[in-house]
Amino acid sequence: MIRAEGLTRRFGPLLAVDDLTLYVRQGEVFGFLGPNGAGKTTTMRMLATLIAPTAGAAWINGHRVGEDDEAVRASIGLLTETPGLYPRLSAEDNLGFFANLHEVADVPGQLRKYLSLLGLWERRADPVGGFSKGMQQKLAIARALLHEPPVLFLDEPTSALDPEAARVVREFIETLKGEGRTIFICTHNLDEADRLCDRVGVIKQRLIRVDAPEALRQGLYGRSVRVQLRETSPALVAVARSLPFVTEVVETAEGLCVALDDPETHNPALVGALVAAGAAIQFVEREAHSLEQVYFDLLRESEEAA
Amino acid sequence: MNRKRLHAVVAKEWLDMRKNKMVLIMMALLPLLMVGMILGTVYFMARLPEADFDPQTGSSGMALPPELAALGPKDGVIVLINDQYMFYLLLIPLALPVYMAAYSIIGEKETRSLEPLLATPVSTTELLLGKTIAASAPAVVLTWLSFLLTAAGLYFIASPVVLAYWVRPVWSLSIAFHTPFLAVLSTACGVIASSRLNDPRAAQQVTALFVVPLITLSMVVLMGKVYLDMRLMGWATLVIAAVTVGVLWLAVRLFQRETILTRWR
Repeated sequence: MIRAEGLTRRFGPLLAVDDLTLYVRQGEVFGFLGPNGAGKTTTMRMLATLIAPTAGAAWINGHRVGEDDEAVRASIGLLTETPGLYPRLSAEDNLGFFANLHEVADVPGQLRKYLSLLGLWERRADPVGGFSKGMQQKLAIARALLHEPPVLFLDEPTSALDPEAARVVREFIETLKGEGRTIFICTHNLDEADRLCDRVGVIKQRLIRVDAPEALRQGLYGRSVRVQLRETSPALVAVARSLPFVTEVVETAEGLCVALDDPETHNPALVGALVAAGAAIQFVEREAHSLEQVYFDLLRESEEAA
Repeated sequence: MNRKRLHAVVAKEWLDMRKNKMVLIMMALLPLLMVGMILGTVYFMARLPEADFDPQTGSSGMALPPELAALGPKDGVIVLINDQYMFYLLLIPLALPVYMAAYSIIGEKETRSLEPLLATPVSTTELLLGKTIAASAPAVVLTWLSFLLTAAGLYFIASPVVLAYWVRPVWSLSIAFHTPFLAVLSTACGVIASSRLNDPRAAQQVTALFVVPLITLSMVVLMGKVYLDMRLMGWATLVIAAVTVGVLWLAVRLFQRETILTRWR
């Protein structure tokens, strides 16, 4: 659905995006993560035909960017970082203008559908300059969806929103995911990416890593369980280390952190061996690494490699 | 060229314009002031005694070009002054659209609406043409209305000769044909300025360059050095059309989506 091959963009001497190759499948929610200036927005702008790549090529919904731009634009909905609405015009007029540019067949029907879905129908005749940030963002999302595009580009969809408005927007994105649209999200909100995205890509000019959040965690840290003990001892650490399926044991204040290849299969044996050695086990839980931790470690690895 | 999208751009610009009271006031004020100034001047001059206009004895007397000598000193002077005002009337299509055009693009930047707009299937030509029509058409209509309103006023307050000279072919055709060219020229200046600059006022300064030749020509006419005839107006039309096409070409060349998006911060 979204394909980029060797996509590169320079601004004079500045290399904004370097040799980006990426494929996002139909119906997938893809999170694009990276620090400020990493090239996220530039990539999105290239894919949305707003700026041309210096090198490389991209296809959206089968249409080549740079060759069939009108078809590309008809296939995408774009939510920019700021809503970009006309403040003097009403919500209805703002959406009506974009619906006409997209030659939507049933403009009143689509306006009603999305204004109602996003809870703005009652305010449809009000100038949007008087709307809260959350309402403006919802209206901008409605604008991106009016022509029912198969591909959505969302740039920081919940930035600058209060937690309640951010939750509404996030839930709406989840409903869109259920409709089979391909969604490409640029975000700094790693918790949001973790919750919404099927896969994430970490970029800093070059694409550092692409995978599902869970696969990234496993790739970096392997799999481990946290065993909370009433009391720990060197003997219990030795017992855990003696088990053939255990790859690493770290003693912590609460107990042991045990890395092992296949926790679903080997956890019972681990627990049995520890109990047999006299351990009083209070809890056994999966060791959780946040996507934030993954993100920073990937960036650090990338910097060290550079 | 997609007519539906072009229509959508024009309709949105006009809707936005209608919601902006300041723009509406500015648009109405200049033509009203012009008409009031012309009719006021004619009204008071028409009530002065004929002797005041004698270049030898009268305090209001001016040297008339030979083409106006047959009208008599009073009507001749009024026609000569009205010819000056006609040049000022042509300032309306230069003054009004530039600000609207500049605002319509710089305004997109200020509201950050240009990026989502450029991500729609609208082409640069449709967008620029739509904005040009939206900015030019009201100024053209207002200029024509000002011309007709002044003619109606002259019918009541001036002699038939003064009215006949006001609507004589050289001016009627000039108002009819120069006005759209000047409006488009002004809009193109607004587009150029707003493609390169971030301040609508800068666009007005660029247009001021085109006001200078118009004022100069009016001064030359006032001094009696040149009398406006169809031949001169024909040449003026050619020059204005050539300059308009050139500036319009430049405006389209300079309006680059990418530059505007990446330079505007």
